[in-house]
Amino acid sequence: MKPCLGYQMSRRSMLGASGATLFGLQLSELIARAGEAQQTKAEHVIFFWNGGGMSHLDTWDPKPGSPSQGELNPIETSVPGIQISEIFPQLAKQMHHCALVRSIAGTQGDHGLGTYNVQTSYLQTPNIVHPGFGSVVVHEKPKMGDLPSFVSISGRAPRASYLGQACEAYFVGAPGERDPYLAFPEGITQVRGNDRLDALARFNDRYGSRNPGESNVATKTAIDDAVKLMRSPALSAFELDKVPTTMLNRYGDNTFGRGVLLAKQLVETGVRFVQVNRGGFDTHTANFPAMRAHGAVMDPALASLIEDLAESGLLKKTLIVMLSEFGRTPDVNEDAGRDHWSDVFSCFVAGGGITGGKVIGSSDENGYAPKDNPVKVADLHATFCQSLGIDSMKEVMTPLQRPMKLVDNGKPIADLFA
Amino acid sequence: MAYLGLHRRLRLQILVSVFLVALSVVTERQKSFAADNATEVTEIRKAADPAAVKTIHAISVDDALSQENQLLGVVHPAEPAVPDLAFIRRISLDLVGRIPSKEEVDEFLAWPEHERRERMIEKRMNDDRFVDRWTTFYADLLRLRSNSEGGSATIAYVHRSLSNNVPYDELCRNLISKNGKAGAVPEVGFILGDGADPMAMAGVTAQVFLGVRVACAQCHDHPFDVWKRKDFYELAAFYGKTRRVESQFTKTIYTTEANESLVLWPPEGVGKMEDRKPITPRFPFELLAEDHPSVVRLNTRRKALAEEKAALLAQQEAASKPDDGLDDLLANADKKVERSTRANDREESLEEARSEVRKIGASGGRNLESAWRMQLAEQITSPRNRYFSRCFVNRVWCELIGRGFVNPLDDFNQTNPPSHPQTLDFLADEFVASGYDLRSLVSSIVSSEVYQRGHSTVVDEKFRGELEKSFLALPARRMNSESLYDSIVTAGHLFEVKHAAGKNMKTVWSELQVTKQPSGGQGLAAMSLTGSNGQAMDGKMAASNDAAAEQSPVYNLEGAIELDFAKILEEVQEGNDEVVVEQMSAMSTEQIEAERMLMKSQENSYAYIERFTRQQLDDNPLFASSFRMASPADPEHFLRVFGQPERVQLGETRDHAPSMRQALMLLNGRLSHEAARVGELEPTHALLIGPQQNLGQAVELAYLEILTRRPSTSEALEGVEMVNASGNPQEGMGDLRWILLNCNEFRFVP
Repeated sequence: MKPCLGYQMSRRSMLGASGATLFGLQLSELIARAGEAQQTKAEHVIFFWNGGGMSHLDTWDPKPGSPSQGELNPIETSVPGIQISEIFPQLAKQMHHCALVRSIAGTQGDHGLGTYNVQTSYLQTPNIVHPGFGSVVVHEKPKMGDLPSFVSISGRAPRASYLGQACEAYFVGAPGERDPYLAFPEGITQVRGNDRLDALARFNDRYGSRNPGESNVATKTAIDDAVKLMRSPALSAFELDKVPTTMLNRYGDNTFGRGVLLAKQLVETGVRFVQVNRGGFDTHTANFPAMRAHGAVMDPALASLIEDLAESGLLKKTLIVMLSEFGRTPDVNEDAGRDHWSDVFSCFVAGGGITGGKVIGSSDENGYAPKDNPVKVADLHATFCQSLGIDSMKEVMTPLQRPMKLVDNGKPIADLFA
Repeated sequence: MAYLGLHRRLRLQILVSVFLVALSVVTERQKSFAADNATEVTEIRKAADPAAVKTIHAISVDDALSQENQLLGVVHPAEPAVPDLAFIRRISLDLVGRIPSKEEVDEFLAWPEHERRERMIEKRMNDDRFVDRWTTFYADLLRLRSNSEGGSATIAYVHRSLSNNVPYDELCRNLISKNGKAGAVPEVGFILGDGADPMAMAGVTAQVFLGVRVACAQCHDHPFDVWKRKDFYELAAFYGKTRRVESQFTKTIYTTEANESLVLWPPEGVGKMEDRKPITPRFPFELLAEDHPSVVRLNTRRKALAEEKAALLAQQEAASKPDDGLDDLLANADKKVERSTRANDREESLEEARSEVRKIGASGGRNLESAWRMQLAEQITSPRNRYFSRCFVNRVWCELIGRGFVNPLDDFNQTNPPSHPQTLDFLADEFVASGYDLRSLVSSIVSSEVYQRGHSTVVDEKFRGELEKSFLALPARRMNSESLYDSIVTAGHLFEVKHAAGKNMKTVWSELQVTKQPSGGQGLAAMSLTGSNGQAMDGKMAASNDAAAEQSPVYNLEGAIELDFAKILEEVQEGNDEVVVEQMSAMSTEQIEAERMLMKSQENSYAYIERFTRQQLDDNPLFASSFRMASPADPEHFLRVFGQPERVQLGETRDHAPSMRQALMLLNGRLSHEAARVGELEPTHALLIGPQQNLGQAVELAYLEILTRRPSTSEALEGVEMVNASGNPQEGMGDLRWILLNCNEFRFVP
């Protein structure tokens, strides 16, 4: 990545000029946040989306002694009695901060339908698009600071649909890569770029005075917001080049590790919802080496994130969730793979006021179906909303004036907060 | 096929109206100034005269509208017509989706003043880009998506229908009633877009074609309209026998008719299970009686117009003997040979596909047409069904004028009456009489005085709203996203190469994730490890020639890859069983191969290496029209950011609200940057550098090319100063052009 001198200059001058803000957060906001510390409500979410259908048996719900177990062994964790797969040795040591839901009773075994259901809580139907969970959160929680409220890393988040354009995710391609739209185009110096912005404002004012109307004001606001973001010191939260090498190595110097570090920086800077996407879980063939490879990447990043957030105290205010559209078959197929399985799968949760070291529900002996405490997908969403202090039954209007609940009638899992 | 031209009567009418406009401009302008300067704004309407005749008899839209405004007691004068340059910008944006080039402006201004607007309308109506631009209008209306089952073929089909001037009613009948294989029978993409689900299709049919929102009656009686839950079920029943089928062997998707209807009454959860019986389809919308005066008038007018059209056609045919080129014949022969060769090669799979088709035939019939849906289509498109014509006319009117007679456009109901019911009906009847001809409708609207009216500059928001509601002034509207895109490309000379070869050499580093083949070699397939919730594209795209695609795959949010509509439809043959079988076999082999590839890539989905590649390339920017892109574009793409709808949700409209994302994209994006940069091959270059330097002219050219107007004296001075200020006139002009492309004035239709 090329350093951009002008961009750095503007950041420094902004810092000097605006002593009353820290990373774009008004001091008053910071104080307000500190004051809320007693409450258990989460303020942020880091949502890990593992696309393809992650095997629940080779991660959160191992089946020692069962034919379903396969090649990966369970290991003990920091919580006596809770075992997870051997692919998560470091994360196992953080288990006292984390909880598992092992009895999600899914209904959708197709990638598209499952993804839609798990990300929105609704079943996909023609004619209507339901908003994703991230959009729900930023619809209900006011923006903090200069950065966009909802950021999606390394892939797409679902659409905001009837919650409106303001609830769409801000898209970051590769973590650490600077969004080219936040800096002047190549070859335009800072001085020249600023001169152009000034002249543009003059032209627009002139046009506005000739053509009255709200639409001109709205455009001006949009441009002002854009320029404010371009010049915000908070933007450094998108950069990873100042992260010490030791830290980067601890998380893992790969796309996922950098994505998790970025998520942490963004949450620390006030971003409400960060979605970190990762694919490659559709392991119809050679499931076990694939899951080992995933573990090697995911384990250090997740464990470091939880450890660091717990240490800084932000874990209490940050709900961490890892989900996938479904689990995988207990039977290992002839290609040593596992196929789609939605009857039961698991969810990983940490922080955000949930009680660590818990397991909610269980699947049967071989991992085919929920055994006790079956949890619907919508129940998960309702639980997340409870953690955030959002009324999941609140109704919003669609363009057809049809009232829709934020979550499709789920019931929060009370045990997670006990 | 070229459009036949405006018919004579209409032409006369335009001549008269243009003349009248010219005459009235001076007085109107004075009135308008008076209205502006008055501190107390004058009233728009008085109480209507109760003795006035309530039914209007009009010969044109303007006539209808002014009569009806009179009925409504409107006394305020209308805004005068916009000047010539604003007119050519407006008509170009509306009819072909981009601003005019300098050459087009010159040509326009060279025509005699009294006929230039009419000539420009005719030129734009016959432009190929008219078809591209209005295909987008249809795709929005019908919620067509390139990535849905058979969706790209449906878009290509609509494009061809528009190009061949297929009447709107005929197009709709085909979309509603056809069955067949996705892609091969392009019409079925329409019902497959909603999974051919009867309940969904009932809502879609009523709302899209008739502008009536009955979808809520699926679950309960309509809260404030007459629609009962049973009406909804009876409407859905027309689609009750239709099934979406995915073939086990070929994996192809098609629709067919079953013997049993799936739509049962009473609804699930109401009454006993065993009481639920298939419900007989019934069209719940009232049709006018055959002898209703309006239908009688319509039939007469229809007949007269049809005769006029036929006579014109005969005349044209006589004038130009059709030259069925030998080339065409040869090309067809070639194709036949090719097709049979292909069939031979695949004899085995063809045989399998045949047996599969027989199986389908046995289990319910591969019926290409649905009898029930045919009935539905007939009733929907009947001239006696005023909902159909009113709804469409209202949409087209809004597209061109900026405001419908009924708003929201798809919400005709008793509590939401049209602002000008008789004008709406006048237009609707004319539309039916013309044979549901989109071009006649568009042409009659854009030739009207009302279309040419200016925007009100009255500051009082409410008063301005009233003027706009009476169509005395037109509401300001933003260009739609495709038009904005294409206009920037036009203004920035980016449809053609504008820099000399070698002027834009760049070293490009790109990071590719290359899959490892089991054999040890590196595969060609690059993949990414990012999320899997993107939708698969229903391919058939032309190759990209945009270097930026390689440069930064993640941030390529402004490229346009043109679809070859003709190619998409190339394989389409209708009716013939053998052809369908053959296509199924062709598809099956491709599908088997695709599946094999997919399995392979899945095997290796965790084994990849990251590789940096370095490339030297001449990054000479070149952009294609956005109207030909796969649509809707990716969610972060320029077009989507500027309001292209997702086309999934019923009732979704284009969101024209400005946003921070839009601002960032125009301020810092590649498209506006490249458009602003001055190329050596552009006309302005000689005015900036060298012996013919003339900065004043260069500034005037920039204003003409970007804003389609000349700068005022102070703007010209300011522009020259700006060009001079940077010390490098080429860069200074780049700055000025960047500002003009970014400014509010650019984005609004004048």
